[in-house]
Amino acid sequence: MNVQVGEELPELVKHPTTRQLVQYAGSSGGFYEIHYDQDYARGVELPGVILHGLLKAGFLGQLVTDWLGDRGTLKVFDVSYRGIDQPGQVYRCRGRVTRVDGNHVELEIWGEDQTGKRTTVGTATVQMNG
Amino acid sequence: MSATAPVIERIRARIGMSGPPLEATVEAGHLKRFAEAIGDPNPRWKGEASPTFLVALASPSMHLPEAEEYGRGWLNGGNRFEYLEPVKVGDRITATGRVVEVNEKTGSSGNLLFIIFETEYVNQHGRKVARVRATAIRR
Repeated sequence: MNVQVGEELPELVKHPTTRQLVQYAGSSGGFYEIHYDQDYARGVELPGVILHGLLKAGFLGQLVTDWLGDRGTLKVFDVSYRGIDQPGQVYRCRGRVTRVDGNHVELEIWGEDQTGKRTTVGTATVQMNG
Repeated sequence: MSATAPVIERIRARIGMSGPPLEATVEAGHLKRFAEAIGDPNPRWKGEASPTFLVALASPSMHLPEAEEYGRGWLNGGNRFEYLEPVKVGDRITATGRVVEVNEKTGSSGNLLFIIFETEYVNQHGRKVARVRATAIRR
């Protein structure tokens, strides 16, 4: 097995748009108005519509499964949303390996806004194929 | 005791109570639309659920009308997925959620109410495929 502590996952860069938020709302059933109605979002003291936390989780899931491929299985995926992200702004998904114990591998994963602030932080646990 | 204490007590009374089970079939078209929305072109998701797909099949949080009496809006605080079995196209999934924790915290911009839900997803063979935690925040 070729995974080492400190290994960085290939960065995944996303350019979310309002169209993508509507697509995500439709396919996930997440119809809270702060994700597609600018007036509603501003009315609850947001700067405008914001990304669904779960869309950002989806991006980070892609980061992990792109890196993992068919080398193992994702067991636990845990994300906390620490800040808002808006469409029209870049969202960078990054991660690194924090622990390797036999076939058990732990990752630190995060999403950064355009200023480099980590607006989503999390961990993933994978079981590599024996 | 704050003015919102009765609301919090009513939500707390729900702790441990399961919501109605939701049943849904994993459909190829839904898998495709969901992967497209994320912008994930991995062909694997034509036949199996991507890491966050189950939340689209059945919400990981329950509808709690009384929670809307607290604050002005919802925020999603986080999600934790534990995967036990693969989920494939054609699987019939039953999701059952419950409230596991309710806590009020003081944040920099006022009080926040944290409600933690846990949902179990079981397939047509009676096997538990995933457990999902969702932290919903009223602010």
